Amino acid sequence: MSDNHAEHGPTDPPPPDSYEVPPEGAAETCPDCGRPFHDAELVALHRGLAHEAVLDDEARERVAAAREVESRRLRLFRLKAIAALVVLYFGLLMVYAVVT
Amino acid sequence: MDRHRGVVRWTVRACALVAWALAALGTAVGPALAHGGSLGRAARDSLSVPAWLIVATGGAAVGASFLLASFGTDRAFVAGLHGPRRYLRLPGRRWLSRLAGGLGVVVLAVVVVAGFLGSTDPLSNGAIVIVWVGWWAGFTMSTYLVGNAWPALNPFRAVARALPSPDRRYRWRWGAWPAAAGLLALVWLEVVGPLAEEPRTLAVTVLAYGVVTVAGALVYGPDQWFGTVDPVSRVLRMYGRVAPLESTGDGLALRFPGGGLTADVLDGRDDAAFVVTLLWATTYDGLVTTPLWRKVARVVVNGGVPPVAVYPAALVAGAGVFWGLYLLAARLARRTAPTYVDVATLVRRFAPPLLAVAAGYHLAHFLGYFVALLPPLALAVTTPLATVEPAVVVLPGWFGTVAVAGVLVGHVLAVLAAHATAFEVFPGRMQAIRSQYPFVAVMVLYTVVSLWIVTRPEVAPPYL
Ligand SMILES: [Zn+2]
Repeated sequence: MSDNHAEHGPTDPPPPDSYEVPPEGAAETCPDCGRPFHDAELVALHRGLAHEAVLDDEARERVAAAREVESRRLRLFRLKAIAALVVLYFGLLMVYAVVT
Repeated sequence: MDRHRGVVRWTVRACALVAWALAALGTAVGPALAHGGSLGRAARDSLSVPAWLIVATGGAAVGASFLLASFGTDRAFVAGLHGPRRYLRLPGRRWLSRLAGGLGVVVLAVVVVAGFLGSTDPLSNGAIVIVWVGWWAGFTMSTYLVGNAWPALNPFRAVARALPSPDRRYRWRWGAWPAAAGLLALVWLEVVGPLAEEPRTLAVTVLAYGVVTVAGALVYGPDQWFGTVDPVSRVLRMYGRVAPLESTGDGLALRFPGGGLTADVLDGRDDAAFVVTLLWATTYDGLVTTPLWRKVARVVVNGGVPPVAVYPAALVAGAGVFWGLYLLAARLARRTAPTYVDVATLVRRFAPPLLAVAAGYHLAHFLGYFVALLPPLALAVTTPLATVEPAVVVLPGWFGTVAVAGVLVGHVLAVLAAHATAFEVFPGRMQAIRSQYPFVAVMVLYTVVSLWIVTRPEVAPPYL
């Protein structure tokens, strides 16, 4: 189940007035719509989804780079998820064997 | 053409994911279900798997479904799971709706007449059987398994529509909070009052509710009243969000079960509070029949609290705890994601998936009851005033499995719907997954509590 070219799809970010930013201000904001984000990578991912049509080449590159980084993290998360599922499954199997 | 190929690809992936999820769940839950086969309320003593293990397996299955959902991070695929798939046109919609309203009024009349004049034995009284077995168990199941037909069938709406409407209509300003309070009041009445044993009391209650409802519909207008204020219409509409069919302006919309839970359909915090209250109400209903409740109630009453106060106090306190936990999860999600999206938006967007949990719990609670009491229901519908002793279907032992499965399927559906919602709200895929940590923790807790209640022996609530 790969998703390398699957990031393009409908998205529905909350309207700009439904964000709550701490008094010291947001870490990053989107240059296109002003929505606040915690880091530059999230801004890039957001721009790739919400403003794809108006991005210049440099912005597009940043989007691609952010997606690449995110895909790597996702792969790591999935490895951990598989490990957790295996532990959960065999753990339960053993408990069932002992109890019943 | 490209688009079409895309759709095919998503469909193939969807099937693969569903098959995988089912297989994985099956392997995780299979042993529990096989052993829990004798879980029928009557046959609970002969259980070969201890209840704690069933509860733990259920919690693990919900956690596992979250981990499995992390493999479906394909945005277009996730988005394709929800939203209407197809519209069906109904011929003669207006006439059908009139007909349904008329049917509703006839059934209401039968309930009231049978309540006052019928047998005093609950199982052979038309009012009791039609209201509890036919409507609250059977009809409610149809709202989340098929679709919500209550706006068409609602007899009070039909009556309000037939009456002359006043010149001036008032605006309702209090949102869904009164509906949540009304829901708690109805649950309290149902648990504490003899509404399921005394047909006369039931008939009086139905009439009183009818007078308030019709008067409210006249003052505020039927759309405002049944859309916002009336707790019963709201419960059934909320359950209808889980169903595959929904009536829209374009006809009947067909979607995946649970597909309606990802849309931004709630108005605000009050609406979300109503959803959480509904979830708590279904839990409370089962909680008061557990031996633990009996013990706790005894201790509290011996400590000097009047017995009348114990039930409403627990009802309100529990609603507060459920709501507080949910608010806490929404607050924490801002940090785990991380995101600047405000709490109010998160509270609103992630509440609808909980409806699948409430529906699963309702199914667990009422399917067996409904099937067992089908013969009295058939009798009540055909001859509401007869005083025959009706037969009752004896459920096979494996039927208890349905209760456990209902709770589990509801939670898994909720986890998947919340996952899809997170993908709509957040731009980052890891961000969307991390936003779900606190919600999944709360969901596992709800599962454990629900399964624990379902696997307890049922005892009569004390002091009633
Ligand atoms: Zn933007």
